[in-house]
Amino acid sequence: MKSMHEMALMGDILQLVHEDAAEKGLCKIEKVELIVGEIANAMPDALRMAFDIFREQNSHLFTKQAQLVIHLEVAEAECILCGEKYRPEQKIALCPNCNVPSGKVLTGETFQVLSYEGSLEK
Amino acid sequence: MKVTLRTDVLTNNNKAADFNRELFESTKTLVVNIMSSPGAGKTTLLEETVRALAKKYRIAVIEGDLATERDADRIRAMGARAVQINTHGGCHLDARMIAATLGELDLDEIDLLFIENVGNLVCPSGYDLGQHHKVAVLSVPEGNDKIPKYPQMFMRTELVLLNKIDLLPYLDFSVEEARKDLSEINPESTLFPLSARTQEGLHEWFSWIEGAYVRCVRQ
Ligand SMILES: Nc1nc2c(ncn2[C@@H]2O[C@H](COP(=O)(O)OP(=O)(O)O)[C@@H](O)[C@H]2O)c(=O)[nH]1
Ligand SMILES: [Mg+2]
Repeated sequence: MKSMHEMALMGDILQLVHEDAAEKGLCKIEKVELIVGEIANAMPDALRMAFDIFREQNSHLFTKQAQLVIHLEVAEAECILCGEKYRPEQKIALCPNCNVPSGKVLTGETFQVLSYEGSLEK
Repeated sequence: MKVTLRTDVLTNNNKAADFNRELFESTKTLVVNIMSSPGAGKTTLLEETVRALAKKYRIAVIEGDLATERDADRIRAMGARAVQINTHGGCHLDARMIAATLGELDLDEIDLLFIENVGNLVCPSGYDLGQHHKVAVLSVPEGNDKIPKYPQMFMRTELVLLNKIDLLPYLDFSVEEARKDLSEINPESTLFPLSARTQEGLHEWFSWIEGAYVRCVRQ
């Protein structure tokens, strides 16, 4: 179930890259860079596996050595009462200082295609 | 050549969700996306909901639960329209699947549309379908640890239906602990303990739907 999910996500990622590359006349993608938040609900290892599978199935789109680079974004939350910033684990809204559910997630939910590299069609 | 995109991975999904949302708003259809693990009782709750509300509202259900027509048939037997989406083994519904299904439903003739998502506490939570409300069903036999274990689900749902409370006497589940865990993950969410089997507590869920419908129509 879980890696199935990353396959679906990787399909979305490569569709975005492909659409943009087609517009610019780029082909042979060499690299795709992602920003993945800690609480973005995507597992980096499963994304890497999914990327390898897609790369093999779409050799016309990728170079053989095409790589996936994942930049992890650490999760951070802020207590709306005391302003304490903390790294939320399971109990996302629970401020460790006030011990009440007063947290707001600041970062860690990002899931973006940062960039890709390709070469101009010959 | 390097191209910087900084595009959200779910961009295409979110565009489709916005498309759905506009349609739901213009046709004044209240749409509720129901998520849970397999077997928590989504279909049973929907059967009871259709049974109780079908006289007052025109109801339709989109069934996303894997590849059978079984759940859709159960809903049809209660007198609502039901459309089955085949996800081909996929782990969640996305907004494009919903958009593709809407052609089969005349939204002008529907007041309440429930979407039964694929049984899974992880994957469906991140996908906006264009719904007005996300609701999670958690059932008592699943145990107290599910809320803290799946925060991504419970931080994004505004209502949790705690189903199968008829089984509380046989299990060590604590409703109070569930409320506390939920408030620590998502202070804005509400929890309704109920049983689709004995009907206990169902009226709270039905009133919630009626209130949500009034707000949806007024907008
Ligand atoms: N004891 C009890 N069983 C229930 C209740 N609601 C559903 N069930 C049973 O749980 C099983 C799974 O229910 P179903 O509605 O198919 O779950 P779904 O996979 O979430 O759609 C069925 O055998 C139901 O009869 C309840 O409130 N109490
Ligand atoms: Mg079901």
